[in-house]
This record gives sequence, C-alpha cells and structure tokens, in this order.
Amino acid sequence: MAELLLALLAGIWLLGVWMRIYQQARFYQIEEYMSGRYLRWVLARRGRLLPARSIAAWILGLAIGGLLAQAPASAVPQIIALIAAVVAVYPARELEMKKKIAMTARMKRLLVSAGALSAIVFAALHNAVSAFAPMDMNLLSSVATSSLGLALFILTPVWLATGNLLAQPLESLLRRRYLRRAAVTLEKLQPKVIGITGSYGKTTTKNFLRDILSARFRAYATPKSYNTLMGISLAINRDLADDYRSEYFISEMGAYVEGEIDRICQLTPPDIAIVTEIGPQHLERFGTLDKVKEAKYEIVRNLPPDGVAVLNWDNPYVREMAAAGYPNTILTVSRELNVEAARAQGVAWIASDIRETLAGLTFRVAHLASGEEAQIGTRILGEHNVTNLLLCIAVAHCEGVPLRDIALRIGSLQPAESRLAQEKTAAGITIINDAYSANPKGVVSALKVLGLHEHGARLLVTPGMIELGNLQDEENHKLGLLAAQHATDIILIGKEQTQPIARAIRSTSFDLSRLRVVETLTESIDWYQQNLKAGDTVLFLNDLPDTY
Amino acid sequence: MSSRRRRVVAVIFGGRSVEHDVSIVTGHQIMDAFPADGYEIVPVYISRDGRWFTGDALARLDNFKDENILQRAGVKACLLSPDARHHGLIVDPLAPRFSKSDVRRIDVAFPALHGSHGEDGSIQGLFELADIPYVGYATLGSALTNDKIMTKTILRQAGIPVLDDHWVAREDWLAEPDSVIAEILRRFSFPLFIKPATLGSSIGIGRADSEALLRASIDVAANFDRRIMIEPAVTDGIEVNCSVIGLGQHFEASTLEQPLSWDDFLSYEDKYLRGGEGMKSAERLLPAPISDELTERIKETSIAAFKAVDGRGIARIDYLVRPDRNELYLNEINTMPGSLAFYLWREDGYTTTDLAQKLVQLALDAHVEKRRTLYDYQTNLVDLASQRGIKGSKGSK
Repeated sequence: MAELLLALLAGIWLLGVWMRIYQQARFYQIEEYMSGRYLRWVLARRGRLLPARSIAAWILGLAIGGLLAQAPASAVPQIIALIAAVVAVYPARELEMKKKIAMTARMKRLLVSAGALSAIVFAALHNAVSAFAPMDMNLLSSVATSSLGLALFILTPVWLATGNLLAQPLESLLRRRYLRRAAVTLEKLQPKVIGITGSYGKTTTKNFLRDILSARFRAYATPKSYNTLMGISLAINRDLADDYRSEYFISEMGAYVEGEIDRICQLTPPDIAIVTEIGPQHLERFGTLDKVKEAKYEIVRNLPPDGVAVLNWDNPYVREMAAAGYPNTILTVSRELNVEAARAQGVAWIASDIRETLAGLTFRVAHLASGEEAQIGTRILGEHNVTNLLLCIAVAHCEGVPLRDIALRIGSLQPAESRLAQEKTAAGITIINDAYSANPKGVVSALKVLGLHEHGARLLVTPGMIELGNLQDEENHKLGLLAAQHATDIILIGKEQTQPIARAIRSTSFDLSRLRVVETLTESIDWYQQNLKAGDTVLFLNDLPDTY
Repeated sequence: MSSRRRRVVAVIFGGRSVEHDVSIVTGHQIMDAFPADGYEIVPVYISRDGRWFTGDALARLDNFKDENILQRAGVKACLLSPDARHHGLIVDPLAPRFSKSDVRRIDVAFPALHGSHGEDGSIQGLFELADIPYVGYATLGSALTNDKIMTKTILRQAGIPVLDDHWVAREDWLAEPDSVIAEILRRFSFPLFIKPATLGSSIGIGRADSEALLRASIDVAANFDRRIMIEPAVTDGIEVNCSVIGLGQHFEASTLEQPLSWDDFLSYEDKYLRGGEGMKSAERLLPAPISDELTERIKETSIAAFKAVDGRGIARIDYLVRPDRNELYLNEINTMPGSLAFYLWREDGYTTTDLAQKLVQLALDAHVEKRRTLYDYQTNLVDLASQRGIKGSKGSK
C-alpha cells in the first residue's frame, strides 16, 4: 500500500514535470530554440522560474502531513502529499495565447528528449534518495519524493535546454540533409537569386518585387517572413521540388547573428542584393548599429563582381555600403533628395511629389541616368513604402521590365499581411492592421495614415516597440508624441513596457481621459467593440510575441 | 457502366485565377450537394500557382483555414491525364522512390472554377483531350462567353439587346494613350465603365466620371487583361439576373433576382427589412420586382442568348434593366456562376442536390451526343506517303 502510494506520488510529480515541459516548450519555440535567450526570459521575472502556487502547495502539504502524522506507518502524510502534488502541478490557465505551440517534427523530438531526460533523472535520484529514507517511514519518504518532484518541476527550463542539447547531433544531421536537398533542388532550377535584407521592409519589398517582376517573368518569393537558413530551405524543399518554371528566386535574408547571411548565401548565392534599411530593430542582439550594418553587408559581399547591389541611399548606414564600391553595379534610390542633389551624389532613382491620401500613394519616379520618368499610383499606404517601391523599380528596370509596365503593375499591388492593411468591419469601423510594424520608420508612416482619417474617432492600440536596445525608450517616446498628435484615443498594452510612451503622451496636451492602459490585446479589442461606432478607425500598431 | 456502381465525380476548384477563393467555396457547395449513395466525390484542388492536388482532406472547407493543408496526410499531387485511355487522374505523378503513382478513373468532371483557366475554355480543352464527360459549357462556349467583347458581338448578331462599347488593346494603350482617350471621348460621354474583357467578378472594373479617372481605371484594368472594354454607364437602371439550364433542345429559365449592393442594402433596409426578414434575404430581391411581361421577356431572351453562344449545362445571365422604359440590356453570361446560382432555382422547386445531379446528367448526355461525331477515320495515306516519300506528297489538306 505504502509503496503504491509513493509510486503514485512520484508519478503525479513526473506528469507535472512533463506538462510543464510542454507548457514551457512554447516559449522555447518563440525564442527560436536558443537556450540562452529562453533562459534569460525565464530568469527575467521570478514568477516565470518559481511557480508560487506549486511551492505553496508543497510547503502546506508537508506541514499538514507532518502535523497529522501519528505513527510511522500512517498513510495520512502520503495522502496529503498526493493532494498537494495534484494542486502543485495542475496547469495554470494561460492569460492570453497569441501563438500556440507549433507541433513541428523538431518540437516533437525536443519534447521526447526533454521528457525522457527528466524521467531518467527523476528515477535515478528517487532511487538514490530512497536508500537514505527508509520506505517504511511514510512521512520521510513522501517528503523526499515531493521535494524531489518540486525540484525537478522548477528545473523544467534545464530539461528543455539539456534536451535540446542532447537532440543536437540528430538535429544537425537532419539539418544537413535538409540543406543538401534544397541545394539540389536549386541546382536543377538554376534561378536568378535576389536577396533582400535590412532591419525592416524585407517582406513588403519581397512581395512587391515578386508581383512587379511577374509582369514579365516567373518569379518565386519565399512565403511570409521566412528569412532564416532553415526557413528558406523549408520553402525550397516544399515549393520548388517539382517546379521547372521559376526564373527568379526572391528571398529575404535575416541577420540575427553575424555570419548568418553568409550561411544563407552559401545555399542561395545572390545575383542581386537589396538592402532596405538599417535601424535599431533587434539592436539588443547586436549592440551597435555598426555591427548591424556589418552583418547585413554580408549580402553585398556575397555578390559576384558582375552582380547588382540595390541600396536605399536615404539610410546613412546603407549609404556607407554604397561607398564601399562593390560590386561594379550599384543602384541607389532616394525619396528625400531632389534632382540636383541626387545627380551630384550619383543616385540612380528618385521619387518626388509624394502624396498620400486614404486612396493610396502617388509619386513621380525618375531614372536619372536615362531621364526616363513615370507617374506612380498605388493603393498601398505608408510613406516608407515609397522607398520599398523604388528599390523594386530599380531591380525590375535593371532586369528589363519597361518603366511603363512597372507603373502599371504597381497600380494593382496589395499590402502584405498585417502591414498597413485596411478593412471595414460589419459595424462600419475601419481597422488598420499594422501588427508587424515594430520599427520607428513604419510607426511614423502608420500614425500618419491614422491621421488621414479625418472623420470619427481615431483609436491607436499598441504595446510599443521592443528589442531596440538602448534606443528603445527614446524611440517609444517619439511614438508617444506622434500618437498624441494623430490619435483621438489611445490604448497601451502592458503597463511596464509602455511607460515611455505614456510619459510622452502626458507631456502633451492630449486629453488623458482618452488614454487607457490595459494588460492584454483582448481587453483592447473588447473596449473598441463596445465604444467605437461606424465611421471610427482603429490602428493596431505592432503585436508582441507571448514572451512579453 | 453498371448502374449499381457509384458515379465518380471529380469536383475541381481553386485555380489560377483572381477568383480562386470564391471557387473554393463554390467547389465545397457542389461537393456537399451530392448524396453519398450513388456518388463518389473526388476533390481536386488547383493551387494559386497552378499545382493540382487530390485527397479527402480537401473535401472539408474548414481545412482550408490551415495554411499547411497541402502537407496533410493523404493529400497528394495529381494531374488530369490528357491520355484518353486513363480517363481520369494520375495521382502522385512524380512519386518518389518506394511509392508509386496511380490512375484514378473518374466518370464526370465538375469544374467549379471561376474566371481564367477554368471558365475560359482552357480546362474544357483538357477534358476534351481526356475524353471525359464534364459539366458546363464546352470549349467554344466557355471561351466565347468569357470574353465580354466577343459575347456582345455574337449577341448583337442574334438580335439580343446589348450596350454599345469600345475596346482597346493593352499594347495600343501603352503606346498611344492620348489617341485612345480621344477616341473614347469622341464616341461616349461620362460616366463610363471600364472592364477587363475577360474577368467575371468585379475585380479590375472601374467607373470614371473624368478623364483622369478614365486613365487610372484603364491602367488598373490593363493589369488584368490584354483587352479592355469601355461602355457607357447606365445610371438609372437596376440589375436583374436569370439562370438557365439545359442542353440541345430543352432549356429552362429560373426565377429572376435583383441583386443588391451594400449601398442598395442601406436604402432598401427600411422598406424590406422591417418585416423581420433576416440579413440574408437582403442581398437580393427574389423574385425581382418587375412586371410579369418584362420578366417573361427576360426569360425568353436568356434562353435565346444561351443557345446563341452554344450553351450547355448552366449559366447565370446578368442584365441591366430600366423597368419604367421597358428596356433591357444583356450584360454578361456567367457559365460557372458563384454558388451555381442554387438560390435562384430553389424558387422553382430544385434543391441543390437536384441541380447538381441534373448537371451531371446533362454532362453525360452531352458526351453521348459527342459520340455521334467521328474522330477516327481510316485512310491509307500513311502507306501511300511512305511508298512515295514525304517530299513529293502534298497530303490531303
């Protein structure tokens, strides 16, 4: 009887450890399987590492069990410990889950590896402890098992990190096979490769370019925001395996660490490279903007000498890339310079007479070398998109698409998912979805678009910008000032990280009764659905991962 | 074919068309309409970029919310074989090692495709090559009605009233926009409608009250087609639609509807919604509120037009009508109307199941009719040619 209860107790704790591994694996995945980043996230708040309810249940269970234990052979302490264990490991309700765990093959391998590891360690330690705590002492043995269970429960992050480490040899073997398959597929297809990098604007530029080049060629672009080596090879293996037609392969190349673009370029060596912007996005991971620039410059370094670099002249860091003088053909674009200045600085393409209304953007584009000009009209919103379009125009023109055809195609472009996409709800409220805009440039554009809605209330919903390193407070302060200027109502999500925005808003004459701070996106949606009416507008600016 | 065997119907949806998503919905409406006894449904999905797939998971509309639907178990690549002996799909044509490709025989193809590559004769051409019975218009009728300019030319010939129009080729528009505009303004005055010649839905269609808007609208339309049609806008008319089904000598016209746009809906709300009718019925007025005489004329015109374009199967024919002046203009013929115009036929006593089954029967009947045509005719031409040598002979054509 006593042995059975003890085994049950151990079983409940082990089950609890497994459930916690599963629950935590979601965050491990959001942190891209990087143990360092995940552990930093866990350690950032005490509640993440030390589950209060579990610890309280453990203490109470032991205390009550100890008090009620009359005889060494009494089953009472064990039963109390069982109840305490169930209370301790019962999964907590998630506050808000924006991104569910994705049950990829890799995730399954990680779960098996971490689960097996925790079970083995539990069994081994339990045996060792049992040697010291005689089985017939029910109080002592249940104390030992419960304590061991709790320790392993709290150590969940360790099981994940170690499990990941143990799975590494298999993971890297599979990765190599996967990459080889992608390389073979590309070898067969032999497309011209266009690589796009930058701190932001990659996905939008990629989709624009695919649609514009399609006016003349068959162009394939990697889906969504796939921009890592594995993401890109996944796309190749999935989409191009029996593709014998694509002439262009357009891919964004993300740089989260130095050398990453080099590795991507080994798989997909670019013929044309586009650099959109260098900004404080993910600055936390790099430290300085110069380091960000170095990491992104890898894309240009990987061009052959007869390749083409297409660069945004308006960004000082990208401009430095042009100054380096490699490769032979460098095409620069600007939406800030006038004709004389652009000519003097050797800029290839400029946009002028930029106007933005709710119907979209219009501007005049000029190719200074040939004197070719065209009027561009598009339904796309956001002034920063003029730069993205200029980059695409430069590439398409260089590849032989006539300017007139480019202009025609731009007239029918659609915004990429969650990037300044406007829609009207059944209740007549305009929703501007800019959930992916997490950068200073995009924020300015988005708030200006909100300001264009002259009738009705203009509600801004935002958790602010993150991962901007030491520029974060300053940039969020600017966001606050602009928000106060363009919005009539503001909802900030997350009291702690939105403080710089709130401070900035309070420094203006903004009516503070129209500023709200909530903890979840759901609350903000409830609020607008109850308080806004037909003709009003909501801007959802940036959406943070669940780890915030 | 034994009558006890279930009929295998391949419902083909999706497609390389701007109306891809609508087609997914239509396809599922059709698949759901068939009774399980008597029919075996094979879903065939054509992705936006033109890849073909089949598998049971594709028969559930819910699954299409999952972006990884094509990676699901049982979903396999397929293609419709043009080889007449296969009479069906080749499933998993590029099967990797350790698996094999199979032929899946189908009895009837039911294209639920809208717009380009589906409603324009191209897939019908493939069905003809494969020698498989298929629902709807044949190659010529599909290609013809898919093109608004050609449709109107034929209908004028048949004495059916259509609006005047002017069309321009994209090449001409790109080369000499000014003379194109001058010609349009010489013939018509604003407001004008600008339409790509071959799109079924409202995508790419513009309305212009000024020269600037006219230019912008032609630019937009030019993204969707090589030929662009400009016609004067009828500002004081209402839209009326009628569906026709039939083949050969037997045709039926449905109850007429007046579709309502969102703006119409707002203005009609007070008049028609107070009676407790749901939102759903407000999308259209059924039957259309026009005189019996005009209704009868539209039905007759619809059947005449259906015949004039060599129609078979089903179509929804759209009109612009000025009820007070007793005037009507045939606007377009949709050979694969959204939802198959099921809702119109309900008024005439057809359930969706009846309609789906009837269309399959018409497809089989049309195929029987096609059998009357000889495709194989023995000659000794090859023998003669090989005896004389190819250089000297001129052939029989």
